[in-house]
Amino acid sequence: MTTNALTFPRFFPRPQSETGIWGWIGTVDHKRIGTLYGITSFLWFLIAGVEALLIRVQLASAENTFIGPEFYNQLFTMHGTTMVFLVIMPLSAAFFNWLIPLQIGARDVAFPRLNALSYWVFLFGSLIMNAGWLTGDAPNGGWFGYAPNSGVTFNPGLGMTYWVVGLNILGVASIAAGLNFIVTIMNMRAPGMSMFKMPVFTWMTLITSVLLVLAMPILAVAGIQLQTDRVYGTHFFNSLAGGDPVMWQHIFWLFGHPEVYILILPAMGIVSEVLPTFSRKPLFGYPFVVFAGIVIGFMGWFVWSHHMFTVGLGPAANTAFAMSTMLIAVPTGVKIFNWIGTLWRGNIQLNTAMLFSISFIAMFTIGGLSGVMHASPPTDSQQQDTYFVVAHFHYVLVGGALLGIFSGIYFWWPKFTGWFLNEKLGIANWALMMIGFNLQFGPQHWLGMDGMPRRIYTYAENMGWEGSNLAASIGGFILGFGILLFIINMIYSRMNKKIAPADPWDGRTLEWSTSSPPPVHDFDEVPQVKYRDDFWFKKHPETISEYYHNEHDLVVEEDAPVGADDAEEHGDDHGGHGGIHLPDKSYYPFILGVGIAIFGIGFLTNTYVIAAGVPIFIWGMLGWSMEPVNDPT
Amino acid sequence: MHRVSKLPVSLRTALLLIVPVAVGLLAACTPDNNQSTFGTAGPVASDQADLFIFIFWIAVVVFILVEGAVIYASIRYRRRSKSDKLPYQTHGNDKLEITWTIIPVLILIAIAIPTLTDIWEQQNGAPTDRGEVLSVEAIGHQWWFEFRYPDHEVITANELHIPVNRPVGFKLESQDVIHSFWVPKIAGKVDMVPLNDNYLWMMADEVGEYYGQCAEFCGIAHAHMRFRVIVHTEEDFNAWVAGMHTASDPPAAGSAEASGKTLFAGNCSSCHTTNSTAPGSYAQEISSQQARWNGWVSDIENSGIVSAPNLTHFGTRSTLASGIKDLNQESLVEWITDPSSIKIGTRMQDHAAIYKTADGKAKLTDDEISDIAKYLLSLKPGSGTTDQTMGASTGGDVDAVELFTTNCAACHSTGDDKIVGPGLAGIGDQAGNRVDGLSADEYLEQSLREPDAYIVDGFTPGLMPNWEKLGDDSIDALVTYLKTMK
Repeated sequence: MTTNALTFPRFFPRPQSETGIWGWIGTVDHKRIGTLYGITSFLWFLIAGVEALLIRVQLASAENTFIGPEFYNQLFTMHGTTMVFLVIMPLSAAFFNWLIPLQIGARDVAFPRLNALSYWVFLFGSLIMNAGWLTGDAPNGGWFGYAPNSGVTFNPGLGMTYWVVGLNILGVASIAAGLNFIVTIMNMRAPGMSMFKMPVFTWMTLITSVLLVLAMPILAVAGIQLQTDRVYGTHFFNSLAGGDPVMWQHIFWLFGHPEVYILILPAMGIVSEVLPTFSRKPLFGYPFVVFAGIVIGFMGWFVWSHHMFTVGLGPAANTAFAMSTMLIAVPTGVKIFNWIGTLWRGNIQLNTAMLFSISFIAMFTIGGLSGVMHASPPTDSQQQDTYFVVAHFHYVLVGGALLGIFSGIYFWWPKFTGWFLNEKLGIANWALMMIGFNLQFGPQHWLGMDGMPRRIYTYAENMGWEGSNLAASIGGFILGFGILLFIINMIYSRMNKKIAPADPWDGRTLEWSTSSPPPVHDFDEVPQVKYRDDFWFKKHPETISEYYHNEHDLVVEEDAPVGADDAEEHGDDHGGHGGIHLPDKSYYPFILGVGIAIFGIGFLTNTYVIAAGVPIFIWGMLGWSMEPVNDPT
Repeated sequence: MHRVSKLPVSLRTALLLIVPVAVGLLAACTPDNNQSTFGTAGPVASDQADLFIFIFWIAVVVFILVEGAVIYASIRYRRRSKSDKLPYQTHGNDKLEITWTIIPVLILIAIAIPTLTDIWEQQNGAPTDRGEVLSVEAIGHQWWFEFRYPDHEVITANELHIPVNRPVGFKLESQDVIHSFWVPKIAGKVDMVPLNDNYLWMMADEVGEYYGQCAEFCGIAHAHMRFRVIVHTEEDFNAWVAGMHTASDPPAAGSAEASGKTLFAGNCSSCHTTNSTAPGSYAQEISSQQARWNGWVSDIENSGIVSAPNLTHFGTRSTLASGIKDLNQESLVEWITDPSSIKIGTRMQDHAAIYKTADGKAKLTDDEISDIAKYLLSLKPGSGTTDQTMGASTGGDVDAVELFTTNCAACHSTGDDKIVGPGLAGIGDQAGNRVDGLSADEYLEQSLREPDAYIVDGFTPGLMPNWEKLGDDSIDALVTYLKTMK
């Protein structure tokens, strides 16, 4: 780079390898990082699934002795923690990484090395969090780690320390990723793509990223306090020394409720792409769907205490949070109605991706309706901490977030890999998942109303809970077989290599305008955007007047970004890519990630280990800051 | 062909949506289940169930409309052939948007009104217009429930007795972690949070026995933290209270119960009180319970004492180990022998000295365990008068073990553990060496008659009552008994 006249001491050679393990460790390509996120979180998904199946075996009959309470408590703690932090969040991150630059017509994210750092920190955090399985000391305090049961007095051993140290490390990854995508979306859109011409998935990513940047620091506050409570004997939440256990709940859920929208908004973004594509119609009421997302993201901050209706906050607080919680159902409903409006009078192709998206609407609606039931504190007092709540959040997070993610995988798989997935296997995969899911979680509503508390490893024969539990366990295994078919489908796709064209679905957004899989620089030419669903209207110009009634809708807004122009400005620095500016590979994100991981290990073992992490951390930071983004050529 | 191949998929979608509804409607017909929130037995739970059903039917209507629209659109507008012409590329419809924003708001207002009424009726203290409120303090412990009746000076555990058709005002506390107090058929749950007392009122309108269970994850034995609520008629409730103030008849000399009583005094009585019937015993049990907790929490690894349920009139209970098992000789023997065979994680087995064995089972013979069980099952209101004095003797035979159990065991263990006072293991050997010039007999007698004359290092003066009131015979008997502790 010509502007970079100074040469700095090099701590490490620039990675050269494109392939092999060093190629992956040094990569800063958003697509490869997306793949790393996808593969890692899918492996955690399988582990969390095995944990869930062990739980279902144990609960299949009354007074079962298959698993004891120690192991059971570890299983449900890690199933929840893994699904939230190591599966749905990073699977969404895989989509952000893969799609955001492609959807906005950029060549990478704003901070490619920071992006790589996010992944490595996520990987190390997830490993530390699960390290307890190897030492027989896995976390066992529940995924929301209520104090004082998560403190050392009642929970000695390393279990919950693995959990809290892991969470704190994962938080670094999420905050960095959130910042990265905010800057990318705000600054790097293709010329002409004003905010209200962005794809809805990009919008939902933006809102999710803002939530991540605001919510994860709150979790970090609680996490660091719990960590020092456990490691250094502070008393933030230790009620035996006057610490306040209710404070933990407030801080945790002040993070935790926005977190729910962090989990669901990306899936809402995905179905908002899939439904229009396979209805061959634009998203119905685009601005309303976008604003509903923004309103949900905003109101999500005012409802946290509905997780605490039975904590005894008093009638005034419960009234206020009941009202705000009911209100948040309105924008959620608006989204559902607009998705149905998108289907209406469409030309609907019921392929696997579409079936998953339609099922998302159907299942998420059930989760939403049960949500309204426990938005009412008097009803909630019978439902809180029972299987009714378990059913509710699985309808939202499996029936919602995961079905959306599966829809997205089937939709974008050809774009990611260049091959099709098999449709017959896909539909069987969908059908088994739907049957299994409903058989597993449908009856749990009634177990809850029948008084079965959650997180109990056994129950008495005379409670009348056996039939529903057996059904739920059978459903769990059917769901598991459905996911097995998905794995087979991926392998089949890899072996069969049925080549996908650039635009297999008659897509609407920019990612379909480039080859499948996209070249390393994403677009040979930076696209010029004129319309919402620009790619569609360029393919079908005769339909422009149906969507845009007024001439002034077509005037290019003043806020059209300039980011892509920057790339052109510096483009000729890089003959190698035909005038395309791409960041060079770097090992430093990985090294910095290792440093952060060693800090975490220090909290688990010995304070001196933390000191050992310092030089590695500094090496990573210094090397990173002194290494130019691109070597002079 | 297209129609045939597409339709089953759509039908399957329809069927899948019906499954949860059908299962639900079938399962909703089980109000008789022990913890069903539908077969209610009190106004609080019944209002909550009514509100649920109100919201449920609104949800059913919304469910049918939304899912119906999804299924209809998916079938009606499905692609029939590749040559279908493009649908109209509509951008949306503002009037529709306004409609489907306002209608949910109206529905939610309809739900909010009864919600608010119920919140302020149920969460704003016990009603004053439904009869005299019975006060109960319910305390969550890992993993059992303690119930105190401050107006009646009664303490019991795991089985709550209340009168029918009278509001009961609960003060909910926790000594350790967060628990949740829940009797599904009578009222929704409220958490028991350490340092944050909560309040809950409920009222039962049917006599009977109801199931309760801890609903907040509280550690290893959470699944086994249950309790029962026994709803009496007003007369029966008063009789129960009177019974709780009537001492048990002492077991006949030489009986299995008598042997069990001695074994209990030696092995169990540091943690379990069996005779909180006399005046003053209520306050004493509260301070002993606190002392046991302090003892455990100050040395969690090695403490020989833990918070433990009060066993007064244990023989009248119907369940064992916080509502897990029916109480009888067989289950009680199993429990005493190896508590974890019934309830994994119970603190008794981790801390009581008799379980410090290789296999964790009690180091007692089968006969001894059977005797303890028989003794405990014999604990019922006796034929004696209520308000018995605290074991004061009237001359003649004095049962030193009974005296010790009644008056001393709450604060002194027979082992090495501190409760409120020092453990008494080896006191028979040491008593003669404590104070220069006092023999063992003199030292022990002085300790009973003038407790503050000599305080063992590390203990607080002024806590131990003066036991002159027991009378000379009793004091002599206690001294003799204490000297046997080698």
